[in-house]
Amino acid sequence: MKGHEYRRAGRSALLSISVAVVMGLAFTVIAITSAWAHGEKAQMPFLRMRSVQWYDIVWSKAEVKVGETVEITGKFHLSEFWPDSIGYPKESFLNIGQPGAVFVRKEVFLNGTFVPRAFTLEPGKTYEFKIVLLARRPGDWHVHPVMNIRNGGPLSGPGEYIKVTGDYADFTNTVTTLDGKTFDLETFGLTGIYSWHFLWMAIAAVWVAYWFRRGGFISRCLRVAGSPDVQSADKMISPLDEKIALGFLGGTLLIVMVAFTRTEAALPRALPLQSGLITIAPGDPAMNAPENVLVKYERAIYDVPGRRLVVNLQITNNSNEPVQIGELNTASVRFLNPKVMKDAVKYPDYLLAPEGLSVSDEKPIAPGETRKLSIIAQDALWDTQRLADIYYGTDSSMAGLLVFLGQNGTRHVIEIGGPAVPNYTNIGLLKL
Amino acid sequence: MSYTDVDVPNRRDKVQAAFRSFGEVAAAASVLNWLLLFIFFCVLLGAYHIHTMLLMGDWDFWIDWKDRRYWPTVGPIVTIPFIAAAQFFFWEKFRLPFGATFVVLALLVGEWINRYVNFWGWTWFPVNFCWPTEFIPGALFIDCVLLMSRSYIMTAVIGGLGYALLMYPSNWPILAQFHMPVEKNGLVMTLADLMGFETVRTGTPEYIRLIEKGTLRSFGQDVVPVSSFFAGFVSMVMYLIWHFIGRWFSRTDFIARI
Ligand SMILES: [Cu+2]
Repeated sequence: MKGHEYRRAGRSALLSISVAVVMGLAFTVIAITSAWAHGEKAQMPFLRMRSVQWYDIVWSKAEVKVGETVEITGKFHLSEFWPDSIGYPKESFLNIGQPGAVFVRKEVFLNGTFVPRAFTLEPGKTYEFKIVLLARRPGDWHVHPVMNIRNGGPLSGPGEYIKVTGDYADFTNTVTTLDGKTFDLETFGLTGIYSWHFLWMAIAAVWVAYWFRRGGFISRCLRVAGSPDVQSADKMISPLDEKIALGFLGGTLLIVMVAFTRTEAALPRALPLQSGLITIAPGDPAMNAPENVLVKYERAIYDVPGRRLVVNLQITNNSNEPVQIGELNTASVRFLNPKVMKDAVKYPDYLLAPEGLSVSDEKPIAPGETRKLSIIAQDALWDTQRLADIYYGTDSSMAGLLVFLGQNGTRHVIEIGGPAVPNYTNIGLLKL
Repeated sequence: MSYTDVDVPNRRDKVQAAFRSFGEVAAAASVLNWLLLFIFFCVLLGAYHIHTMLLMGDWDFWIDWKDRRYWPTVGPIVTIPFIAAAQFFFWEKFRLPFGATFVVLALLVGEWINRYVNFWGWTWFPVNFCWPTEFIPGALFIDCVLLMSRSYIMTAVIGGLGYALLMYPSNWPILAQFHMPVEKNGLVMTLADLMGFETVRTGTPEYIRLIEKGTLRSFGQDVVPVSSFFAGFVSMVMYLIWHFIGRWFSRTDFIARI
């Protein structure tokens, strides 16, 4: 090999090692998804508009200390317009979107049922949830409720910043077992983990060192290469080597056996990991009662240059009070009709269009009346939340929650949905 | 290729001329030995670590995936390939019976760096939640089998089986304490399940957890031995396949072409 060939070989070896290191790092980062913030925008609009309709989401506090809890409560309606392309929500999991293990998830309830594992959801039904988080790491964290659905991916709800103050050093997370023993899960079992791993690594290192000191690679390689046959090469292993190996073998088996039997004796009540779907309680019947305001979805146009969605509806008010349209909520973006509704819960700004909704006929719809009208949801959020891509979808359809407000304060939350036709110029909109 | 293939009459003189004394030769060989040790360790660490993360991934990462059925099945089967290849290389070229222990030690050093720096350091998963599986006892065993038997077939059969059977018992002293039962809102959970619930993994919903769901009904409670023996038999086959891959990677004839 000439000099430049050595350099070439060296370069390619270095390159392979770097590629291996970079791949290892990249894979780890992907595997543990530390960078989550606002990943939901990358999802296609139909996934966000026609799957989980999150609403009434409330973060109990905007700031907590390490060791204090914060609650996220709310409801979601599982879309009646569930896309064909994502799996039926047979296995779903109510998760949290947060950057790393910054909060400990203490409780998650769905319709009052504790759900640490997966459950089945039914499209068309409304559920209420409550999440209790224990602050663990100081910082400013964007936290979302997320519904994971097998073959559907993560369907993220709205996110809000929660500021955690204090010091991680003060954090503890205790639990009491059925045997009545109390542990801090933050540090539980660490001594055993570190000592066993250290012990075996030390034994392994001694084994490798013993053999490495018996001539290293160069002379052993030359001796093997110089041996006329396998038998004479095998003579490199001396009887003493074999005795020492036997000692390592016996010692290893003895340590494993003794440690195993002692563990079995010390912890006879160890259970296998628990698994299986959880059945959810039916929840408050009022949440799924039939609505007495009926909405017929007639035609929708997504006006591309105007960044607005126009939907023609026929509404029949069978309730006993006049109603008005206050809000359209789709993909967690809330388009409010300022004449009827103000945001009362300090909803995250990046998802709120406080004056985003207008109605072609603002007059309240009287009890018993049927009226045709158009709603217009218009805001730059169509672009910034990348919902405008609706007209790139394979079935160009939308769905969302339409919120009616009765004169006496009754709220009617009704899902609407159907095809949306793109309009690339302003011509033709007047015909609505 | 041997030295006689190439006709270089004064080759030995030239080699001798590069060093002034026998001591210098020994010193150079010693430096080269340490360099090779370091290079072998790093290269095997990188390759083995990626291989294990891709194939064993979550079972090795999380405490609530270390079950009685899939973990002792997947673990040995996906880790024995590098053991087979490394044993061939170190035994065939150097008569060094530490191939298995050497690669497994490298793997564990890599995993510990990853778990400590990335999992704990960057994303704050507690170390007791994401410690790596212990494979060293099985590796010591299979190295000793190769040394005693001096036969790759015996190593595949006895060593492969033993390697798989040793995985669960050598981890149980660490794992068992996390299988103590707790009650949470009327539900029985092990501490490992509880930690899996409390430690939020945004990208790992609970339903993707591939663990025992009580499907080995005819074998009753003895899930671990059944899984381990199955893993042992597959490990034997894997050992032989990867023995030949090790053979292929240990070739030196391409050097002649450089
Ligand atoms: Cu976010």
